[in-house]
Amino acid sequence: MVAKVIDEYAEMMNAYEQSGGKIGEFSNPNVPSIVISGNKVLGKNEVKGLIIEPTPTKDGVDVKITVKSGTKILYPMALCFGVLPKDGTQIINMEAIIEDNAGMNAISHCVFPNARHIIHKMNYDVHIGKHSFFRYEEVHFHGEQGGVEVVPFTSGTVGEGSYFKSTFTLKEGRVGKLDIKYDMDVEKNGKLELYSKVWAKGNDIVNIEEKGNLEGEEARALIKSRVVLQDESHSKVVSVVNARAPYSRGHVDCMEVVQDNAVAEAVPIVGVSNHLAKVTHEAAIGSLDSKEIETLEARGLSEDEAIKVVVGGLLK
Amino acid sequence: MDVILKVEDLWLKKGNKDIIKNFNLDIERHLISVVLGVNGAGKSSLAYVLMGLSGYKPDKGRIFFKNKNITGLSVTKRAKMGMTLAWQTPAGFEGLTVKDYIMIGMKNKSIFAVKDALGSVALDPILYMNRVVDKSLSGGERKRIELAAVYAMHPDLVILDEPDSGIDILSLESVKRLIKGFKMNGSTVLLITHRDEVADIADKAFLMCSGSIIRDGTPGEISDYFKNECNSCNHKGMPEQNLAKEKGGI
Repeated sequence: MVAKVIDEYAEMMNAYEQSGGKIGEFSNPNVPSIVISGNKVLGKNEVKGLIIEPTPTKDGVDVKITVKSGTKILYPMALCFGVLPKDGTQIINMEAIIEDNAGMNAISHCVFPNARHIIHKMNYDVHIGKHSFFRYEEVHFHGEQGGVEVVPFTSGTVGEGSYFKSTFTLKEGRVGKLDIKYDMDVEKNGKLELYSKVWAKGNDIVNIEEKGNLEGEEARALIKSRVVLQDESHSKVVSVVNARAPYSRGHVDCMEVVQDNAVAEAVPIVGVSNHLAKVTHEAAIGSLDSKEIETLEARGLSEDEAIKVVVGGLLK
Repeated sequence: MDVILKVEDLWLKKGNKDIIKNFNLDIERHLISVVLGVNGAGKSSLAYVLMGLSGYKPDKGRIFFKNKNITGLSVTKRAKMGMTLAWQTPAGFEGLTVKDYIMIGMKNKSIFAVKDALGSVALDPILYMNRVVDKSLSGGERKRIELAAVYAMHPDLVILDEPDSGIDILSLESVKRLIKGFKMNGSTVLLITHRDEVADIADKAFLMCSGSIIRDGTPGEISDYFKNECNSCNHKGMPEQNLAKEKGGI
């Protein structure tokens, strides 16, 4: 039994490393971390001012993370979630509470190296107090089969004078089916930044729906999406900013690059219900810029190499 | 004469218009040659045809580079043979740092060479190496980075399309120094411009009008003619009968 857990931990670490993570983080006592495989918590490390409370459930784990008031966590928290078998379901319900005058950075790697039919649901409930920050970066590593259904939903509040930045990246392996949603309220002087970067291939399906509600005076929101599609993949990006308070400002920036027989759709929705608020948007869908490709070809790169450089930059 | 680039009876049609017609040119190795012409003379189209860009395949004629017919070759193959182009309005690249962009074309990739290239266009490497080659750069900064990138390649032939455009008058001297630097490094320069004050650094000059070379000579001779005749010319192109007469040269 112990040997099986050690093997599972080693395989999770291997997949974590392949997704760009540094496994040394999990043996460093100064780095807060958690490793969850299926519905098993394989490892956990707390640091002063940070409480991690996992509770296994039938299909996953409920996790409550609390950063205590006045605490700034020095090292980014490392989170590793995944499912190693070919088939299965993992549901993670995560409540992140960043109390007043506190802050944390976190990098989460979600790994499904052998996926044939995996459902991975993440429900994030994020509450950031006053004058605090939370930067959350989620990187996905999928196998080449495309058998993963990823459904992350993030909702919550960015408190007065606080900052929340969330970056979702899925560019290694096949996407499968991605259905990502954000719905965040931003209070007075709060700042919200949402970034999604996805490379879809084969018959992958990508749905992104990001919503920022600017409820407080001088609240800010930036919603930026970059989706590269090839083969027969489909994407739909709906970006919503509602500015409801004086001097609140929002911007939506969506770019989808379409190759082969892929299909893309972008729907920017901007709403203003206070005459002192302002929201702007830009959306571009199309093929890669031939001038960019030819510039790199004129430096000696082949067309394929040039496309890799341009796409790599877009998703960086 | 040691010719590195030879163009024979080149024609390019866009719609019903001949953008380049009956175009002949010999570019001598290790020299700076300038093609001077008013806006609309076909200079940028010439640069694109020479580099083999899509949409600029010639309807007729042949291009030889280092004695090899490159008329049907791809942009990549031309670049691998040693020629490159610096665009008049360079493309932006989201997410690509200046350092990585300059390194793309370098044969021996080194951080010192990147710093040297940025220094050659009077940009501080510390401030610029980690900037991104996107719209956060001004037009002038982007232009200088483009010149630095082609400088770092050490190409056998560099085509510079209006290298002075978008660059303020104070920086013009540094651009001229850079062009001379290409020559000192052993590169051949084909400089394309509509500003006669840049042409004076060249060894040879050609005047382009309505898609053809109508005169060649020293930079002084061509600049004088350009200032006196072309700037006051309203039609941006020479009538066919005059063109034929002018082809006799000075």
